[in-house]
Amino acid sequence: MSKYRVQDGALVDGGPLTYNDDVVRKFTIAAVIWAIVAFSVGVYIATELCWPSFNLGLPWTNFGRLRPVHTSAAIFAFGGSTLIGTAFYVVQRTCRARLWGPPALANFVFWGYQFFIVMAALSYVMGFSKSREYAEPEWHLDIWLTIIWVTFAVIYVGTLVKRREPHIYVANWFYLAFILTIAVLHVVNNLTLPVSWFGSKSYSLFSGVQDALVQWWYGHNAVGFFLTAGFLGMMYYFIPKAANRPIYSYRLSIVHFWSLIFIYIWAGPHHLLWTALPDWTQTLGMVFSIMLWMPSWGGMINGLMTLSGAWDKLRTDPGLRFSVTAVGFYGMATFEGPVMSIRNVNALSHYTDWGIGHVHSGSLGWVAFISFGAIYYLVPKLWNRDGLYSVRLASWHYWIATLGIVVYIVAMWVAGITEGLMWRAYDSHGFLQYSFIESVVAVHPFMVMRLIGGLLFLTGGLLMAYNLARTIAGTKPLIPGLAAAWPVLGAAPAGE
Amino acid sequence: MPTKIEKDAARQAEAEAVRTTGHEWDGIYELDTPLPKWWVYLFIACVVFAGVYALLYPSIPYGRGYMHGILGYSSRDSVNAEVAAVDKQRAVAMGRIAVLPFEKIEADPELREVAEIAGRTAFANDCQPCHGAGGAGRPGYPALAAGAWIWGGHLEDLQATITHGIRSSDPEARESDMPRFGADRMLTKAQIQQVADYVWTHFYGHSESGVDTAPGEKLFADNCAPCHGDHGQGEREVGAPRLASHVHLYGDARETIVAQIVAPHEGIMPNWNKRLDPGTIKSLALYVHGLGGGE
Amino acid sequence: MGTGLGDGVVGVFVGLLGLGGLALGLGARDGEMFVFGFSLAAFSALFVRGLIRQRALLTGRVAEEAAAKTETAAHV
Repeated sequence: MSKYRVQDGALVDGGPLTYNDDVVRKFTIAAVIWAIVAFSVGVYIATELCWPSFNLGLPWTNFGRLRPVHTSAAIFAFGGSTLIGTAFYVVQRTCRARLWGPPALANFVFWGYQFFIVMAALSYVMGFSKSREYAEPEWHLDIWLTIIWVTFAVIYVGTLVKRREPHIYVANWFYLAFILTIAVLHVVNNLTLPVSWFGSKSYSLFSGVQDALVQWWYGHNAVGFFLTAGFLGMMYYFIPKAANRPIYSYRLSIVHFWSLIFIYIWAGPHHLLWTALPDWTQTLGMVFSIMLWMPSWGGMINGLMTLSGAWDKLRTDPGLRFSVTAVGFYGMATFEGPVMSIRNVNALSHYTDWGIGHVHSGSLGWVAFISFGAIYYLVPKLWNRDGLYSVRLASWHYWIATLGIVVYIVAMWVAGITEGLMWRAYDSHGFLQYSFIESVVAVHPFMVMRLIGGLLFLTGGLLMAYNLARTIAGTKPLIPGLAAAWPVLGAAPAGE
Repeated sequence: MPTKIEKDAARQAEAEAVRTTGHEWDGIYELDTPLPKWWVYLFIACVVFAGVYALLYPSIPYGRGYMHGILGYSSRDSVNAEVAAVDKQRAVAMGRIAVLPFEKIEADPELREVAEIAGRTAFANDCQPCHGAGGAGRPGYPALAAGAWIWGGHLEDLQATITHGIRSSDPEARESDMPRFGADRMLTKAQIQQVADYVWTHFYGHSESGVDTAPGEKLFADNCAPCHGDHGQGEREVGAPRLASHVHLYGDARETIVAQIVAPHEGIMPNWNKRLDPGTIKSLALYVHGLGGGE
Repeated sequence: MGTGLGDGVVGVFVGLLGLGGLALGLGARDGEMFVFGFSLAAFSALFVRGLIRQRALLTGRVAEEAAAKTETAAHV
């Protein structure tokens, strides 16, 4: 018997345990690339909202087609690649077990998922869409994603099963909730009947208000389980690791996990307040959103309080600063959400840019920042480097991106409230005081302000990409004996 | 020598070592801190609020019905009440605008003011998307401010056009149908070019030397003049646009004339009587009339 | 080698998916299905090709290492 073993297409020493970090490295690179794509497309369509002629009069660059490219690139490509990559990283370490299944299976999840993203973006640009928000891909792509997702779930659960730890760490509860619930949501919301097995067009199995409710049950829980639960899993690993502090409260993690999971799933109808949805359903959507406030904040408390005794690390570790600021934005967005779900507040905020602002304080502030924190932590570890190429550059990224978010959400708050007030204003004779187009003109300055915020955020993202590329290309190894993992396909370091 | 911070940290770590759950994953420990009191109380408060709200408002479904709640609230009723309130506020003035002839409305300063407001907002929401701000128009959508009326620019004409629409589903809609001279092979390609040359130079006022407009003039007299008039003056009875003008529905280029003769575009305007009340329609007529092209 | 079999199963599965893609692309009734079908076939071909190359590379290297070791042992 040779003392060499083959793992992930690599020859490694027959040591006691090695992790599959090859697939994590791939997902990390993909996440950074997709982040730049998502931010760039976002900036581009923001210019279209300021000056419509930026759509060039072409069907492919029309706002309606590029918008899902932006949202899918941000949520599924950037967010999804970060989530799957970190899930694979975290589950191996907290279970002290190698990823379940042959290496080709994990590789299939990676390449299959990237294939899905590219195909979906291409189909939007070509004008094919199911017209369901955040579930735009047509039926054939939905089936493809289902195959990928089930494979991902099997690898993940398989690794949990063969773990060498007596208990399952809290991060894994959140990752598991994310994987399972997204599977259910994806399958149910995308139940459609294709016109032909050889054509892309399909029609929803549901109709009317039931269709709308299924869509927003999906849409809301995509936020709840993809963008919240998944990233909470990330937080529960990377914040204590980076801060080198224990989790603040085990009990809180149990209580807020189960209350979050139980309550989130019912809150979808708050997206359909003041519509044809029956009043009783609207009420339930609202009250579950109110009850969701504290369960959401449980994660924030655990994230922030874990830092007690390690706050000084924020000065020296920009990655940790990203993670902690993310938790702050998470707390803000999860307070704003229940407020917006109150009927009377919603009467003002619904259909306005306030909603866009709310989503972006969550997606830029929470999702992107917690991802940046994890990526800045991961890259030196995954490529066996003695720290980042430039901590200062990461610090600049932090400040530029934070400024960008603040500019963005302030612009959207002002624009949204302006729109809400103008749309409902009556004059002394009982006539609507403003026409719709007047409200469009009124918010134009804030559209430009939002564009500036987005440009700042994109600039920060480019700094990160450069910094990480230099880190990977660098030569300062963390562990002297180990060869650099990049770009040689073969040599996979054992991690820790 | 350890600093104060380091000593504090060491002491805290010691205290925590006792309070962890004893589990460890990849170097991560968990403290067994009790739930923060304020968190628990706020959570309970939210649940209580939710319960009370659900009692007051429509909430729990059963069979084919649902619990209507103590307040008996219904969002449809609340919207209807709001709409009824503003309707009532507008009713007196709008009722009079709906029945009085235009001269009487214009003579009454108060009615004129209300009509102006009603016309302005209705125009911005319902007409402007096609006819442009201030009725500036765009290719295919007549410029209302220019005075180049196809169906007439008197207040009564405008009222009729807005009410019944053009080529709409309304039985009294204004109808006109220009033959497809090219598509239906009534004229040859060369003939169409000749007519277009003639219209473009003679009526649109462009000069081009070396083009013989005589054959075009003959073709025009035979095929176009019955509707558009010998002098291109148009005929409102059949909705034939005036050609001898500087304002043209599809633009000033000769190609648009050719395209229109080959297979005419036939624009559609909705009949607004299904969506707007008579008072608002008359206000709109007054507003459009006042844009600069009224007759 | 244990991992070889598992990789083989994944390779066959992806290959079958690729054949499905080929069928979709050939029978496509619209541009999107045409692009998707043939892209899927190409994806599957590239994936399987990568697997085979990697396997070849690895078995080659294992053999090399083994040869090197025997050589060293012989010298001692």
